[in-house]
Amino acid sequence: MFSLLLLNGGVGARAGAGQPKQLVKVNGLPILVYSLVAADAVPDITQIVLNYPDGWRSQIEAIVADYAIRTPVTYVRAGASRHESVRAMLDVATQDDVIIHETARPLVTTEDFQSLVASEHRNVSLMLEIPFTVAPVDPAEQKVTGYLERSTLRNVQLPQKFSIADLRDAHAFAEREGRLFTEDATLVAVAGHDVRFVNGSDRNIKVTTPTDIKLATYLLTGGDEDWND
Amino acid sequence: MTKTLLVTGASRGIGLETVRRFLQEPAAGRGPEKGDVSRIVLVARDSDDYSEALADLEAHNPRGVTLSAYRADVGDRAALVELIDEIAENDGNIDYLVNNAGYTNPVALQQVDFADFERTMSVNLYAPFTLVQQLLHRGNHFDLIVNIASTAGIGGRSGWLTYSASKAALINMSEVMREELAIYGTRVVCISPGRTATALRRVLAPTEDPSTIMQAGDVAAVIEMLASPVGRFVDSANLVVRQ
Repeated sequence: MFSLLLLNGGVGARAGAGQPKQLVKVNGLPILVYSLVAADAVPDITQIVLNYPDGWRSQIEAIVADYAIRTPVTYVRAGASRHESVRAMLDVATQDDVIIHETARPLVTTEDFQSLVASEHRNVSLMLEIPFTVAPVDPAEQKVTGYLERSTLRNVQLPQKFSIADLRDAHAFAEREGRLFTEDATLVAVAGHDVRFVNGSDRNIKVTTPTDIKLATYLLTGGDEDWND
Repeated sequence: MTKTLLVTGASRGIGLETVRRFLQEPAAGRGPEKGDVSRIVLVARDSDDYSEALADLEAHNPRGVTLSAYRADVGDRAALVELIDEIAENDGNIDYLVNNAGYTNPVALQQVDFADFERTMSVNLYAPFTLVQQLLHRGNHFDLIVNIASTAGIGGRSGWLTYSASKAALINMSEVMREELAIYGTRVVCISPGRTATALRRVLAPTEDPSTIMQAGDVAAVIEMLASPVGRFVDSANLVVRQ
């Protein structure tokens, strides 16, 4: 059984001067709804740990209630950094294994979670092949410094699953070493634990800009399907 | 897996004929959907028609489907919310919902009594909304929702202001529901029957010979088709059903 650690930035820019910040919506629904509903349909997820930006707890709780999420939800205030958020969420996780996801990926499916659950390995990330070439550079000099073989690189996606012991150890490692990681699969691997991947989908995009929201809406509403008629 | 069907306005017309069709054995070569319905929840106002219909349904129930009948006015929101509690308690998850109950009192604009306009909206629009929202709040997962609108909701008709407005709103509400409930894999269908030989039609067109127009059973057959595997190929837009 798994605790889902659901990272929920979720609050976007002000719509206009003097206006309060808004919960990000995709196709009219608060963005966190998509991940909550997809995860709620996974029987192996028995707890959802949901973090909330300071000042937003009651709004987030109301959404969870309105959508009748059946999996018990534990609320944790978001930390100043991703490391801090994940550590605080680990403190309240009740299961020995966790799945990490972020609400900024609303196209996640129940099947994505289930493919992680089904993997025989304990530390597993969804990842994607990189269909373009990436170059190592020296940004200060604007100088290309070498070559990266893209067949040995992957686009790191969420969700990911970890043994809670390995993830705790990896966060302690990062703190000890004073290193910052932007996600947990590479962190856990660098800390010395075995981390595997399963192939994800290029639909499972991270929604960060207004253009991303338009693209996500297009995909969610089947806008791409007419082209296959 | 067995399914539960809820039909409002089940005492006569399209609602009653829909219940009748789901009581029957599936036709040879058809999908399992109809045969999977093992419980039908009927909602209608109390009337002699309803009691007679229930007795007749019990007498023609070859598959032994459980009939769970409630007497309520879906236009009374407070009573409807209480009823939904009772249904959720007694009947469990509603898989197929047919929002069929309808009301009309066709009069010209200057003659519209506002309370009657509100009643029209309550029965035709707020009741389907309330059923869906309240059941969702209770964790209900729908496979299929069928909202019965009307061709009068596509184009306004002189003398039918309140009815046309309520059905136009229902057509639009169905489009929103279709998009928002896609996250659950719920199909939302809106059908707009034209002239159908029902008690409501008799109010709208009292001099018409009902034997010359589409019958309630024909619309019920379309609803049955929508619940079958091929239904998903015709459910993407308001579906006009007319003779």
